[in-house]
Amino acid sequence: MAKDRSQTDDYATPLRRLLLAVVALVLFGVFLIWRIDSPRVERFRAQVTDRVVPNMDWAMAPVTATINLVRDYQSYQRLSDQNRELRNELRQMQAWKEAALQLEQENARLLDLNNVRLDPRLTFVTGVVMADSGSPFRQSVLLNVGARDGIVDGWAAMDGIGLVGRISGIGQTTSRVILLTDASSSIPAVVQPSGQGALVSGDNSSAPALDFLESPDLVRPGDRVVTSGDGGVFPAGLLIGQVAADPAGRLRVRLAADYERLEFLRVLRHLGTEKIEDPGSVVVPEALDLSDVERPDG
Amino acid sequence: MADLARSGLWVMRAIYVAFCLLVILAHLLPLDTLPRGWAPPDYLIAFTFAWALRRPDYVPILAIAGVFLLADLLFQRPPGLLAALVVIGTEYLRIRFAGLRDASFAGEWIAVCVMIAAITLANRLTLSFVASTLPPLAPSVIQMVLTMAFYPVAVLLSQSVLGVRKPDPRQAETLGARA
Repeated sequence: MAKDRSQTDDYATPLRRLLLAVVALVLFGVFLIWRIDSPRVERFRAQVTDRVVPNMDWAMAPVTATINLVRDYQSYQRLSDQNRELRNELRQMQAWKEAALQLEQENARLLDLNNVRLDPRLTFVTGVVMADSGSPFRQSVLLNVGARDGIVDGWAAMDGIGLVGRISGIGQTTSRVILLTDASSSIPAVVQPSGQGALVSGDNSSAPALDFLESPDLVRPGDRVVTSGDGGVFPAGLLIGQVAADPAGRLRVRLAADYERLEFLRVLRHLGTEKIEDPGSVVVPEALDLSDVERPDG
Repeated sequence: MADLARSGLWVMRAIYVAFCLLVILAHLLPLDTLPRGWAPPDYLIAFTFAWALRRPDYVPILAIAGVFLLADLLFQRPPGLLAALVVIGTEYLRIRFAGLRDASFAGEWIAVCVMIAAITLANRLTLSFVASTLPPLAPSVIQMVLTMAFYPVAVLLSQSVLGVRKPDPRQAETLGARA
């Protein structure tokens, strides 16, 4: 027992205590700096992620691929069931396809009649999902495109169908997408047939809640939810999902994007909606004259 | 002989860091992007405590601090907070219990459980104290309980696979002399 005591004393030498105090102080210091000047530390975090995760990618990519392969194999075992289901769905889809084609033609005709110009600058960069947040408390994924590819904070990320999230945190070659399911995500949206404005706010569940509806009576499960473009962060009209009611009667959004497997994401280049800032001034005769004089043929 | 022991020591330290990096990497695999209602155990904490209570010289303070700070940064947690708590907790366990070779495993497990609960509580208290956003309660409680339950598995794995056992008395003497 005496020996044990001496060993304990050895481990608690003053030097060791000093080291512990210094390390703990530095770590708490980092935490406090994060709390006080969050953007700076978050940039540092993005840089660290940018340095570390691509280095792990050579190991992560094959492991991910292998596990997905095993999962695919498991799904092969249910192949005949799936086949039957798929054939049923295909029949339904063909009916829908006809409807969609007709609607598309009608839509094109109507757009033409109204002389509508769709935003020609809405292009996208496609990135591969490298890693997820690694923590059950945060919902985000890391893409392999970053500042090098011209990604900007706040841009929308979609899979083929629906909105997935928004860029938050950019490194040189990586960028983080905060998913709609994350507790810190809330997106202004419009519920489609009724035109009600609402906020799609994530709460760590697979279906984000639909908050701040003006009159929930006008909204039914099955309605389409699209981005409204309020706040100027997102372009308007991106599909988010469908309204659904949870057992407690609360309205939620069943997301259109396939969250089961996020592999490739499109980051929409959004150059901001132009704003009209001054209220317009009175047109005075001088200005009229000046513009007349400046015209080359006038 | 002393040189051999010393290089073995550094190999085990490197193994600790490499093992932790492997765990972090496994967490980052983009397999499950759907939010879950529960949380897996915190493997890093369980293994760190298991190693620190068996061979404290394998897990130096700086290695623990580095590993957990990296995990904080990569896992989108408030950076530094959990790292500081784990470093202090490990050091406390090390001072109180590392010397007691003949202590039973049950006692050790209870001490570790209390420490995990204390770390979870301190984490939440500090976050609410600085008015930061708290992680949801239910998954953190599940994570805490699962970490406690996982601890014996971590001990078993470290002892059988990685060979981290309490030193026998003869070794302990040389260790004590070195430390």
